[in-house]
Amino acid sequence: MATLSIRDVRKSYGSVQVLHGVDIELEDGGFLVLLGPSGCGKSTLLNIIAGLDDTSGGDILIGGRSVLDLAPKDRNIAMVFQSYALYPTMSVARNIGFGLEMRGVGADQRKRAVEDAARMLQISHLLDRRPANLSGGQRQRVAMGRAIVRDPELFLFDEPLSNLDAKLRVEMRTEIKRLHERLGTSIVYVTHDQIEAMTLGTKVAVMKGGYIQQLDDPRTIYERPANMFVASFIGSPAMNFLAGRLVPDSEGVQFQASGVSIVLPTRNRPVDSERPVVLGIRPEELRTVPRNRASIMGEIDVVEPTGPETMVTVQVGEHAIIARLPPRFAGRRKEPICLAVDPASVNLFDPDSGRRIDI
Amino acid sequence: MIESKRQRRMIANIATYIVLASLTVFCIGPMIWMFLTSLKYEADIVTQTMQYLPSRVTFDNYVAIWTQSGFPRLIGNSLVVTFLTVTVCVVTGTLAAYAFSRFAFRGRDQLMLGYLVVRMFPAVMMIIPLYVVMRGVGLVDSRFGLALAYTSFLLPLFVWMLKGFFDSAPKELESAARIDGSTRLGAMVRIVMPLARNGLVASSVFIAIAAWNEFLFALMLTTGQGSRTWPVGLQLMVGEFQLPWGVLAAGGILSIIPVIVLFAIVQRTMVQGLTAGAIKG
Amino acid sequence: MLSHRRFMTTASSRYLPLRALGELSETRYWMYLLLLPSLALILLVIAYPTLYGMAISFREMRLTRPGLDGWVGFKHYVAMWSDPVFWIALKNTVVWVAAAVALELSLGLLAATALNRDLPGTKIFAVLILLPYFLPNVVAGHMWALLLDPRLGVINDLLVRIGVLQSYKAWFADPNTALAATILVEAWHGFPFFALLLLAGLKGIPEDLYKAAAVDGAGLAAQLRLITLPMLKTVIAAAVILRVIGLVNSPDLLLILTGGGPGDATQVLSLYAFQTAYKEFNFGYASALSVVMFVTLMIFAAGYIRISRITKGQGDD
Repeated sequence: MATLSIRDVRKSYGSVQVLHGVDIELEDGGFLVLLGPSGCGKSTLLNIIAGLDDTSGGDILIGGRSVLDLAPKDRNIAMVFQSYALYPTMSVARNIGFGLEMRGVGADQRKRAVEDAARMLQISHLLDRRPANLSGGQRQRVAMGRAIVRDPELFLFDEPLSNLDAKLRVEMRTEIKRLHERLGTSIVYVTHDQIEAMTLGTKVAVMKGGYIQQLDDPRTIYERPANMFVASFIGSPAMNFLAGRLVPDSEGVQFQASGVSIVLPTRNRPVDSERPVVLGIRPEELRTVPRNRASIMGEIDVVEPTGPETMVTVQVGEHAIIARLPPRFAGRRKEPICLAVDPASVNLFDPDSGRRIDI
Repeated sequence: MIESKRQRRMIANIATYIVLASLTVFCIGPMIWMFLTSLKYEADIVTQTMQYLPSRVTFDNYVAIWTQSGFPRLIGNSLVVTFLTVTVCVVTGTLAAYAFSRFAFRGRDQLMLGYLVVRMFPAVMMIIPLYVVMRGVGLVDSRFGLALAYTSFLLPLFVWMLKGFFDSAPKELESAARIDGSTRLGAMVRIVMPLARNGLVASSVFIAIAAWNEFLFALMLTTGQGSRTWPVGLQLMVGEFQLPWGVLAAGGILSIIPVIVLFAIVQRTMVQGLTAGAIKG
Repeated sequence: MLSHRRFMTTASSRYLPLRALGELSETRYWMYLLLLPSLALILLVIAYPTLYGMAISFREMRLTRPGLDGWVGFKHYVAMWSDPVFWIALKNTVVWVAAAVALELSLGLLAATALNRDLPGTKIFAVLILLPYFLPNVVAGHMWALLLDPRLGVINDLLVRIGVLQSYKAWFADPNTALAATILVEAWHGFPFFALLLLAGLKGIPEDLYKAAAVDGAGLAAQLRLITLPMLKTVIAAAVILRVIGLVNSPDLLLILTGGGPGDATQVLSLYAFQTAYKEFNFGYASALSVVMFVTLMIFAAGYIRISRITKGQGDD
């Protein structure tokens, strides 16, 4: 168990810079998720932490000790790969014990450690098999067994669930969470799946284009996204964006767009003049109301019942927004619809920079 | 409609078999004829009426080529040269193929292209300066010198072929091994090499066959019995001794036996490596 | 627990040099160390001789006359211009290579298409058809010399029997047939190479494309024209250039079959250069010949690659 410090880490391949000065601190026993679309630099960062890739600048500290000069084998880390990377020529037991074997741990002690790890992951009956004879979920468990048997200072996970089908993915996600809570070892976890990030992380770093867009706990990232990229990347269906203007109002400020008029409370300073903004509303924050209390008026375009809820696409002026409404919603296409939103739950963004505006 | 479709399919299948059978006769027929000739008495070869199947079978031709012409010596030299060539290529080429397959570094693509372009160099263009240089350092008429000359065109080929096999061993396996406590060297030896073993064997066999068969370099760079390989020896025997057809055929059969055996053993992997390399290149 | 682990011996550390090498492999110089041996070897046996060979082409160097030595500038290249054999050899090279490649490509395409149908038992055909490619030139040459022999060649006998020929023919001795006969032998030796590559190319075409075309009403001919050939274009282009390079550069088969004769009917550039070196020991002139051949080939290859890249754009996605 150890803390992890990533300090101003930069990386470029030739003239292409893929990481622009990344800074992250992870507390002892924390669970850091690196989240972003492909090509955002998250896997590169993970490989740099592992020592599989060189940095072009900056420093990495594990447990307060710089590891940049250490080879991967000397960093006392364990890693689970996207493809699992099980050694095809070795049995499951030897796969799990290979790290200990390389470190010269005796056969008896090794056997005991392997059996303990296998029991924890419920793969004791598979120890004599070859990786080729395992299912996807079983390979995943073996790969995790190989990591935990070493009792390292830091676990690294590189999109470990992306090769599993939907049902297994949920199951293994729970398994990883349980493992983390049981072992308490710090984890760095790379994924492009925002649900994994939300459910697993104690800290989420949303990345794009080699920059950290936001580094926060999952709740804050969901409710108070730092910019429009983070807002749209997290959440499904994505956050609705409405372009309009802020107008000073007696009660605070008012957001206005065609078909939309919402009074927003101001906490800090009053807005003195009109300015263009983008309003962000999560689909689940919208609810239907009687016409006299509506702040958003539109026309129903598509109604998609999913079972537990109904997704309704509403045309509001020139915008199409999605509302997550109760399962028994009865509206039909072309009918008018009146919606309201809790003013405290909305986010405002600057239309030029995309950054969040606090009022 | 269904009837005619089935008929069409049937006709296509028959046509396919006819094509394959004809091509096989074209390919294998000459070898079978050579084999039959090697079993005939000279009198039965040089006759007025052609004997298709030998009326009498003899192994005299094989005995003659083996005992009378220094053929064992030639075969021995070829074995030594082939062995040396393969050893040099495997030792140096495996490392290079691994580096090309695993590392991104400045100039990597240019260097690989260079290894490919080298194959375009005409043999004659290499042979003349090699002869002059090797004569200068006393490597003409030496089996080691000949093997060294062979690496000039076989090493690049070997590197390209083996790189393809290394490429198909996942990179993550090595990363895993390095995190598990191996050095890069350890990961290469313990994890990657066992996976690429078939490819290594197939690539080695491919260059072994090429070295065994090579004629032009050997003709120029060997002058005496001490280093002369079988292709040169056989060719010179034809010119010098007016070698009888039956004996020549027997020599041919003897010298292609190793080729056929090796080819049969690894043909599947070798074909895979050849096509992969060529399609990518 | 953690700290004492670090001092434990690792499995490879029993041998100190190995361990040092292992540690070296973790440095960023490792890849260069891996490349070093082969690179040194290639510089030694390829780069240096090549440059030296080019230098020789500007010198007088005849091993039979040791006194004759020194720089002569472009003398050999000028001599080549007025050397009739050079022009004949150049013409023969073009004819020989073009005809052999065309024949090998056709036979290879035929074989690959037939093999790609995957009928029962075709695997063994695939192995047998591939075999000639691995046979040594020396054996291939003498084998065909035997088959086409003017007195006891079995092909002559067969052709007379079925009435194509009146009498046995001396294929390699007749200037009118010598080049064609050597092309036949070369095709036998080289077409499996095309079959191999084209078969791999055919296997790479998704079956769905043919199904879609069949649903759209395309017949076999249309499928060949619209799917197979465009999809194979890259493979064909690559195979052709590799084979052209191989054929231009290696005179082995002609050296064994005809030695360039009768007259200069089968004389090609590579053979002419080799014989100039091997028989006359006129290294200067031979080097100049091979340099001209190499440069011509490089120009051809560059142009060819450029053209095939341009047309490739349409076939790719």
